[in-house]
Amino acid sequence: METAVLKEQLKKQLIEFLNLTDLKPEDIKDDAPFFGDDGLGLDSIDSLELIVLLHREYGISIKDPKIGRKVLVDINTLAAFIEENRTK
Amino acid sequence: MFYIQQIQCISPQQTFPQASLDTLLDPVNNKLNVIEPSYDGVPRNALRRMSKSVRIGVGAALPIIKNTGTHIDGIIIGTANGGMEDSIVFLKQVIEFEEGVITPGHFVQSTANATAAQLSLVSANKNYNITHVHRGHAFELALIDAAMQLRENADSNYLVGGVDEISVYNYKLDELDNWYKPAPVTAGNFYTQNTPGSVAGEAAVMLLATNDSANAIAAVIDIVTLHTTDIADVQLALQNILAKHGDTIDIFLSGENGDNRFDTFYTAVENELNNDVTVARFKHICGEYPTATSFALWFACELLSTSHIPAHAVKKQGSSSFKNVLIYNVHKGVQHSFILVRES
Amino acid sequence: MGVISAIGNTVAENHSALINGSCGIGQLQDFPSKYAGELPFAAVKLSTEKLKQILGVTDPSVTRTTLLAMAAFTEAIQDAALAAATLSSLGTALIGASTVGGMCLADELYRDANESYKESPYLSSYDCASVFLYMQKHYQLRGLINTINTACSSSANAIMYGARLIQNGLAIKAIVGGADSLSKFTINGFHALHILSPEICTPFDENRQGLNLGEGAAFLVLEKAEDAAGKKIYAEVKGYCNTTDAFHPSSLSDNGDGPYLAMQGALASAKLHAADIDFINAHGTGTENNDLAESRAMQRIFDHVPPFSSTKSFTGHTLGAAGAIEAVYSILNIINGETHPTLHFNNTIPDTGLTPVTTHQSIKAKHVMSNSFGFGGNCSSLIFSSVS
Repeated sequence: METAVLKEQLKKQLIEFLNLTDLKPEDIKDDAPFFGDDGLGLDSIDSLELIVLLHREYGISIKDPKIGRKVLVDINTLAAFIEENRTK
Repeated sequence: MFYIQQIQCISPQQTFPQASLDTLLDPVNNKLNVIEPSYDGVPRNALRRMSKSVRIGVGAALPIIKNTGTHIDGIIIGTANGGMEDSIVFLKQVIEFEEGVITPGHFVQSTANATAAQLSLVSANKNYNITHVHRGHAFELALIDAAMQLRENADSNYLVGGVDEISVYNYKLDELDNWYKPAPVTAGNFYTQNTPGSVAGEAAVMLLATNDSANAIAAVIDIVTLHTTDIADVQLALQNILAKHGDTIDIFLSGENGDNRFDTFYTAVENELNNDVTVARFKHICGEYPTATSFALWFACELLSTSHIPAHAVKKQGSSSFKNVLIYNVHKGVQHSFILVRES
Repeated sequence: MGVISAIGNTVAENHSALINGSCGIGQLQDFPSKYAGELPFAAVKLSTEKLKQILGVTDPSVTRTTLLAMAAFTEAIQDAALAAATLSSLGTALIGASTVGGMCLADELYRDANESYKESPYLSSYDCASVFLYMQKHYQLRGLINTINTACSSSANAIMYGARLIQNGLAIKAIVGGADSLSKFTINGFHALHILSPEICTPFDENRQGLNLGEGAAFLVLEKAEDAAGKKIYAEVKGYCNTTDAFHPSSLSDNGDGPYLAMQGALASAKLHAADIDFINAHGTGTENNDLAESRAMQRIFDHVPPFSSTKSFTGHTLGAAGAIEAVYSILNIINGETHPTLHFNNTIPDTGLTPVTTHQSIKAKHVMSNSFGFGGNCSSLIFSSVS
């Protein structure tokens, strides 16, 4: 899968999984931080939800939430991590 | 006991932000669902995590929080089923994924204190915060809590609310347990079917309780709760209230819900009151739910401040005075309550 | 007082485990969750059937949470020698707390809600109020009854509400406490939040890995000092405070604002200074977040943090029962002039330098503080004091 396609798919999954109903995929910039008020404003519960998303959609298991914190940064970082580690 | 300075209600009818109850919406499939507002002013990132009961609770409280600023000394919520929907959505995930990798969002939202917690977050309030969940008394016990707080801390104010939602699952459980009528009900035949069961309802009522009588909407004079199946206990409780506060009831707001198994309680209470008392009903407006007395209190405030009862609510026209309103309710035949409300 | 937990079915059994350092956390037997064999839990050592038999309950709608509540309630009313007439007096209130209620029957709830199983005996047993509504009927209670749910601080708030009812003249006696049982529901919820420890929990340890879930119940009988004259009195409810952290739905703020305000408010309500507190039964769940926030809040309140301990290292986290169980333990600290250890502790958290008490020792315990914090930012602190 091309990176651009993966990123587009990730944005859709993010919106659906986290119930970000007021956003469209094009509203999420590739480098917009997931956490903090100047980005998507997600919190620690969202990061646990995203770990489940990685497991279900890409077959990636993250056991240590500290690793989660390193990859759940923005779309660019997450897409790169998925490309490297996906099992499905 | 205390004064109501502000009160807001999101219900199945036109009650928010202004009330217009002359025309009523009928139940759909024997459910009276709330009319949800647009929730302007609720942070979007908070809204996406809220179940319906939390949304309507926060929505109804927001105007009060805005008017009162940060000076709220506590948040006191009564809810019987807060979190039920999220509980079962979470449980569904647990069972479908065989206790595998599952998301925690619905679990966190499933705690009954979610409304009170979200209110503390949206108003950055670090004060007293509690959630009473004693089913048909949850709202009354919240009122009693506020009354105690206002005795303990005279110059303070409390955001007090009653909120419950019809969730797919609590409706199903109550339906299986014969609390809802199988035959379709309209606002017009709500009380006349003479069969067991009622119509499901939901609403959120939020009020600001203080000791300040200036510009108050109404005063809550007494709140009495009792658990019994014996009519004599209910009659005795009523006699005690009348002896204590004077037998001066103008309007009896009856919690009748069209379930003929409980009519005897309401009739007994009606018969204890003077002949010239006006008898009014409210469950055809909001439906039956455990904290429906919070809707009754909102309705009592509406009657006292407008000196007008919509015709559909009148069961028996008596005195045309609008000073003292007595609310009586019984939930599932065991949990009885009286709330005495007076003009301010 | 009455208590049932993983370390004993009575106050005496709990007390002896606390002074002997016998931990109640271990493997779960015959429990319908895949985690039963994988993670440690702190179960009450009586089956649901056995509890029914002991309590003489035959009603099929009664859940384990209710049975645990009844076991502790029965011990409390016997200890206080409450006659049936007193129990049924209009002035006797029951203020209960629970967060799981009938949802200990997770599979049954799922079945009833999805498959329309009309024959289910549990249709009105799933909420938390069902526990105390059943007790109202069973014990023929006629006073004010309440159920409080502020997550893990629930029963601390039940104690507070009962004490305030008495002070406001709305009850003469208040039987206050809480109950929760292990449930597939809470087990998976805390697991999904990554805060269940794979090992036996180590509160306040640098390498703590989370909490262990437990179950149990406790009740206390409260009455006014003048009414209690001449009776056996264990302690006084000296102060209390309920505050909110207003930070996050399921975690505490880094500096523990809610815990700080709760402890500070409880001191003010008790008219005591921080230095008057002799011992703290901490919330101390064993999670990364709680123990750090609670430690920091203690350091903000106390110039010298008094001896403190987390008895959750014995009982696991009993959620809605924890505040009441730990109230009983705090009172045991007072009447026996003793500390209870934090088990399994090895390394002090470097950031705080705070080390909990790890042994059973004699101390002067005139004023003991008990902390309970919950999801939604609900924080409560209680202070119990000796009466002599």
